Amino acid sequence: MSSIELQNINYIYSAGTPFEKAALTDVSVTFGGGVITGLIGHTGSGKSTLVQLMNGLMKPTSGTVLLDGKDIWAEPKKIRDVRFRVGLCFQYPEYQLFEESVMLDIAYGPKNMGLSDAEVKRRVADAVRFVGLDPSLMQKSPFDLSGGQKRRVAIAGIIAMEPEVLILDEPAAGLDPVGREEIFGGVRAFQRERNSTVIIVSHSMEDMARYSDELVVMDHGRVHMTGRTSEIFRRSGELTKVGLDVPQITRLMNILRNAGAEIPDDIFTVDRAAEELTKLLAERKG
Amino acid sequence: MLKDITIGQYFPGSSPLHRADPRVKIILTVMYIVGIFMAKNVWSFVFAVVFTAALVIISRIPAKTILRGMKPLIYVIAFTAIINIFWTKGEKPLVEWKFIHIYAEGLQFAALMIVRIIALLAGTGVVLTYTTSPIALTDGLERLLGPLKKIKIPVHEFSMMMTIALRFIPTLIEETDKIMSAQKARGASFDSGSLPQRAKALIPVMIPLFVSAFRRADDLAVAMECRCYRGDVGRTRMTELHMKPLDWILLAAFAAFIAVTVVINIFAPGFSI
Ligand SMILES: Nc1ncnc2c1ncn2[C@@H]1O[C@H](COP(=O)(O)OP(=O)(O)O)[C@@H](O)[C@H]1O
Ligand SMILES: [Mg+2]
Repeated sequence: MSSIELQNINYIYSAGTPFEKAALTDVSVTFGGGVITGLIGHTGSGKSTLVQLMNGLMKPTSGTVLLDGKDIWAEPKKIRDVRFRVGLCFQYPEYQLFEESVMLDIAYGPKNMGLSDAEVKRRVADAVRFVGLDPSLMQKSPFDLSGGQKRRVAIAGIIAMEPEVLILDEPAAGLDPVGREEIFGGVRAFQRERNSTVIIVSHSMEDMARYSDELVVMDHGRVHMTGRTSEIFRRSGELTKVGLDVPQITRLMNILRNAGAEIPDDIFTVDRAAEELTKLLAERKG
Repeated sequence: MLKDITIGQYFPGSSPLHRADPRVKIILTVMYIVGIFMAKNVWSFVFAVVFTAALVIISRIPAKTILRGMKPLIYVIAFTAIINIFWTKGEKPLVEWKFIHIYAEGLQFAALMIVRIIALLAGTGVVLTYTTSPIALTDGLERLLGPLKKIKIPVHEFSMMMTIALRFIPTLIEETDKIMSAQKARGASFDSGSLPQRAKALIPVMIPLFVSAFRRADDLAVAMECRCYRGDVGRTRMTELHMKPLDWILLAAFAAFIAVTVVINIFAPGFSI
């Protein structure tokens, strides 16, 4: 169970030029081990910048990134090892596929790690199982797949490195409900089985309600609040202030509660809502 | 980052040289080059330097920027100077050592050549490349070369290709950056290993880049067709170019530059080439 701790991070794009842009300001936050943390915030709040600092793709302008208590930039020459331990899957990862076959593309990361052929094979097979790809696709060209399948191949390419920390930048953007379900389900299966640390950048409050344990809310390059998902979603007023919202079903429940219905304030999924509402209706009849 | 590289030398501003018609500026550039090459005499060179300095001041481009732009050409300038110093024959050598003979004429000649190259770079820079956006430049070229359409040269198509290429260079650079980061996250390293290793490491970048360039080209073609693009015939323009008083003034000034240079060449005394 690895954890990532960021201490007083500042990040400025194009520092020292007229195009200077402060993307992160004094960010201090810890992503705990063994849970799925959702990183939410409106567009431009610095989420993508933050995740690229966590695996050493970019170096903070000031501040430290600690992986299991060790500064990842202590030995700049070994930054590649950090990238293997902290797997980052970019937004729209399907545009980075390049190999002749799905199999080879997923194997690219593990091969770069210098693993034996047998180990690479095992990892590829495992990753494919997690993301729910049909094994018959393995010899196909990744360019012949559908959008959702490509996305899963790309995510499998990161999972196959078996990172201690898995970071996904908007993994479900632009997918239909079934596609989202498959991807998040796979990520959760991976997290449970490996007890790894997972960070998901997302815009969808519904997805976060279903799949995240904790949330980090970003606003204008700063961390606005952190806490358990259920706690954060109880504070709908604060979320709206930073341009976000609670899940739609929670909004509906809030309206019903304000209208006088006796409904608890921790309903974030449709299933829970259905349960509570049936109970309520049964009481009324009875 | 790759993205910080600027395309061309365009330096946005609002000076008279920025505001002039791009067609006129292309003509001015040609006139300027002609004037500089006609300078034959020390005094006409002095005049050319004064004229060029005036252009730089009018353009409001910092002299530092222009000098920095010349840096890559410093070897060309040095080479020209050396050739002229050692290979020009004169009457009485200043230095004689083994096969090396240096004459006063050689030194003077070299000095004038250096002045000529520097003036050319600075002058054409402030008239054209620093003050004209690449898009305006292609637009001006298309209009200027318009008559060639009569002899079936596809001027419009070429300029449309140029415009599109210029528009997409920053996009593709940004995309390259992103793909490189994504592959680095999978353990690619682009700055270590032997040359063949490094070349091979670029495959995971080049393939997705080409794929996405083709996809963008397709999308753009569809978008253009949706807006009824049919090529040059019957197409009107959003920005019509009209000659303004400023353009006429500039043309007159450059014509005067050439005329005065000729007059000085004929009447002024002094070293000439
Ligand atoms: N390569 C870049 N160069 C300059 N500014 C950037 C770059 N990438 C992002 N930014 C800026 O940094 C801020 C944070 O961006 P980003 O981290 O991508 O936000 P998010 O992922 O939350 O939408 C934005 O204002 C964005 O414009
Ligand atoms: Mg983003």
